[in-house]
Amino acid sequence: MSQAIAQWMDSMVRLGRLFRQTFTSVLKGSLRRRRSQLIVQMYEIGNKSVLFITATLSILGMISVFQVLKQVEKIVPDFSMIGPAFIQMMIREFGPTITGLMIATRVGSGIAAEVGSMVVTEQVDALRMSNAKPVDYLVAPRFVACGIQTMMLSIYGVVVGVIAGSITAYVFWNISFGMFLRFDLVQWGDVVSGLLKALAYGFTIPIVASQAGLETKGGSEGVGAATTRAVVNASFAVVILDLLLSGFSYLVLYG
Amino acid sequence: MTSFLTRIGGTVRSLVVLTGGMFLLLMKILRSFVPMACDSRETWRAFYKVGVKGFPIVVLTALFTGAIMVLQSGHYVARTGATSLLGWAAGFAVFAEIGPILIGLMFSGRVGANNTAELGTMVVTEQVDALRSLAIEPTAYLVAPRFLAMTLMLFLLTAMGDLFALVGGAATAKVMLDVPVGIFFQQVVDAQLLDEYWLGLLKGMVFGMSIAVVSCYFGLRASGGAAGVGRAVNASVVAAAISIFVTDYVVALLWGAM
Repeated sequence: MSQAIAQWMDSMVRLGRLFRQTFTSVLKGSLRRRRSQLIVQMYEIGNKSVLFITATLSILGMISVFQVLKQVEKIVPDFSMIGPAFIQMMIREFGPTITGLMIATRVGSGIAAEVGSMVVTEQVDALRMSNAKPVDYLVAPRFVACGIQTMMLSIYGVVVGVIAGSITAYVFWNISFGMFLRFDLVQWGDVVSGLLKALAYGFTIPIVASQAGLETKGGSEGVGAATTRAVVNASFAVVILDLLLSGFSYLVLYG
Repeated sequence: MTSFLTRIGGTVRSLVVLTGGMFLLLMKILRSFVPMACDSRETWRAFYKVGVKGFPIVVLTALFTGAIMVLQSGHYVARTGATSLLGWAAGFAVFAEIGPILIGLMFSGRVGANNTAELGTMVVTEQVDALRSLAIEPTAYLVAPRFLAMTLMLFLLTAMGDLFALVGGAATAKVMLDVPVGIFFQQVVDAQLLDEYWLGLLKGMVFGMSIAVVSCYFGLRASGGAAGVGRAVNASVVAAAISIFVTDYVVALLWGAM
């Protein structure tokens, strides 16, 4: 048990170090000479995830509305507040968090697989030998690209989920769009809380995944293990950050 | 214009090949149960590995899920003073929807990705070919035990997870909202959520099946050395996430129609 805790502390320290290195590398302007690399990563992380986010978030919106209406139907047949409450929950919680989990799954495993196979084929060592820092070259572009694109995709995910939910409400319960799509309950605190979450997920996922990728050992077995570790750690980081930021926004943003 | 259409056609075609391949794999798995060709020692090993590997991550996820849902409903509770909402939020949302989805996603990351990596490594190092040359059918020997293990274990882990979600919810309700633990559990019982509980367990089982089929499919199709294994794991977790949401929708609709 104590060994597990010690290991965990150790990995947190290494994570913190990688985060600091990446952050200073970005601040020093390592991306100024690698703008094309940044654009490539933004395309890989953002544009290629659009279809995935559309599929998952729209289904999430449909199921949530379907099940909640099914339940509410039994208790009080008053549907007027369902839409606003659903929109509020989407903005504050489910939009950013499920998008974050999806990014952790798709992008996190992608980064680890890519970086991990570069490590086992000694390409990272080759970078080091030619005096190019792996952090500048590999981690920094992904860090910035993922941070920006997670924010964008979260906003997009909320929109997709709300649209899918309102269509479900209209088709199954004949609730008009005018009644469903109201923003009465949404406060600034909800928007800030949602965006804060998206920002935190976006900057944490690439660091966790790169860490897993850079520590790859062995051949194909090692790459597989690193990719698995990246998915688990990144998704778990999202869940932990969600709890922390939910608590923070409950205590601070709403007073 | 034609190149655009070609691209769409290519995407649709690969999607059809993918779903068809997974369906065929599922059929092959089911075929290996009649007559029982599934290796029993391998099955017990898979039970142990899946259950034990999945347990910590499921418990932690469930604890956090319960806490998050109570925190999120805390706004309404604080405004209206209706503590009965807590039982509903922690119980209904966690049992029926968010619990199974989050547990399923984490399980897919931990166990599904691990499974793809393992099978993928066996494929690229030609261990699966070695099995075939020894006249051992890889589906019955490798895939069917994992399928059984993931189906059963995610069912059981969801049941465990529901319990831990309530514990996490109760602790958060006590600390953040100052609702006594006894009252919290009373609210959960009063909300009468047996149906939702069963629905959640059913979802857990179906998610386990789809994660097993998807992760084995991508594992067996890995090619091209270490990079190939990484790519296979990446594709596998993405497909597993989509399959979780799609099967969730189908199960919810069928359940609603009943």
